[in-house]
Amino acid sequence: MKDDLTDRILVVLSSVLMLTAVYMIFFYAPTERVMGIVQKIFYFHLPLAFMAFLSYFVAFVSGVLYLVKKDIKWDIIGSASVEIGVVFTTLVLITGSLWARPIWNTWWTWDPRLTSSLILWLIYVAYIILRMSVEQAERRATFCAVMAIVGFIDVPIVFLSARLWRTIHPVVIKSKSIDMEPAMISVLAISMAAFLLFWITLIRIRSRVDFMELRIRNLEKIKRGGME
Amino acid sequence: MGATLVILRKDLLIEIRRKDSVISMIFFGILLLFVMNMAIGIGRKVDPELAAGILWISILFSSVLGLGRTFSLEKTNRCIDGLLVSPVAPSSVFVAKNLVNLSFMLISEAVIIPVFFALYGDNITVRLAPLLATVLLLNFGFSSVGTLFSGITAATSRNEVLLPLLLFPVITPLIAFTVKATGEIFAGVPFGEYSSWLRLMAAFGLIFSCAGYLLFDYVMKEN
Repeated sequence: MKDDLTDRILVVLSSVLMLTAVYMIFFYAPTERVMGIVQKIFYFHLPLAFMAFLSYFVAFVSGVLYLVKKDIKWDIIGSASVEIGVVFTTLVLITGSLWARPIWNTWWTWDPRLTSSLILWLIYVAYIILRMSVEQAERRATFCAVMAIVGFIDVPIVFLSARLWRTIHPVVIKSKSIDMEPAMISVLAISMAAFLLFWITLIRIRSRVDFMELRIRNLEKIKRGGME
Repeated sequence: MGATLVILRKDLLIEIRRKDSVISMIFFGILLLFVMNMAIGIGRKVDPELAAGILWISILFSSVLGLGRTFSLEKTNRCIDGLLVSPVAPSSVFVAKNLVNLSFMLISEAVIIPVFFALYGDNITVRLAPLLATVLLLNFGFSSVGTLFSGITAATSRNEVLLPLLLFPVITPLIAFTVKATGEIFAGVPFGEYSSWLRLMAAFGLIFSCAGYLLFDYVMKEN
């Protein structure tokens, strides 16, 4: 029951923060001089990309923890974050496409970052297909952990390989300075926070479904044992 | 080390007697070369980079065929149980299977590459030493990832379908490095200009052979 309450609080908080973020994006943040209103999609695009990356990192860490501890909990958390990561990556690709159409005059270009996002999407969709193909829970958990680890090791290599080609993607956040208006930065920060909270809420709810399923399975097993 | 060689010898012996993996790989590779010739228009002259792409698509797709068999071989009559109870470390099995896949790939490439030159060789500079280096480095990376994944897919019900789905997204960087390097070799560029691609290929192989070596224990225990 306590979990339930925390979830509800999280849902309320992330909704409020998300609405605030949307309000600020459209009424507070200055309209970009060159790109105009289209640039607003940036406040969704970047947080989504960031959270997607966070999901894959969490999946990697849970994969390692599962292989070390053999606790099915880590499998559930890992798979929940991959699923959400794939959804977020899909949204990154879609929002990016929508943004690219008016600005670069094309839906898609083989720019390094676009290519990297697409490859990451492919890797983690493969993870989900693998998950659907294995029935037995422990075997599935092990294989998915291995896939999550291998996939994440591949992430820097994918980025490097894509970097070695020329890029037209804007590098907004460099190591030293951020190339944006102060008002834009604060809106971005709020949008980031909103998406982070939303992400945590989603992970919790998604993994709770799996935990419940696990409990039902175990109860069924006990019941069947009692009948025989 | 001894155990690795025993498994390698066993698998090569099976292949010498049955010959099915390597022959299917070679046949499928050549078939793909023909199919792609039709796709781009029969008899059209191709530039070096496109030729490199054609060569590697044929080799990679045909190599997946052999990869899927290295483990399903052990599933017949539950030979894998024998491997697991024998005093052989799973990581030695990984090294052995990796070497098996490497040798299958090398044998099939020894046929596919000459056929490729016969079909597409008009605009291409032939440089054997750097091409051989590229082939070896690609094989190393491909079969390291592939051996690990074939261990995984062999334990699922959809082995042959699943393996390329898992494998190709992960090795896309390697494919990109390889095609770049080969394209420049075919264009006759001096070695210094593409050696960095070869180094990246080597790094890819090293990273994933280590990852496979470490992770294979867990995969084997689930088989």
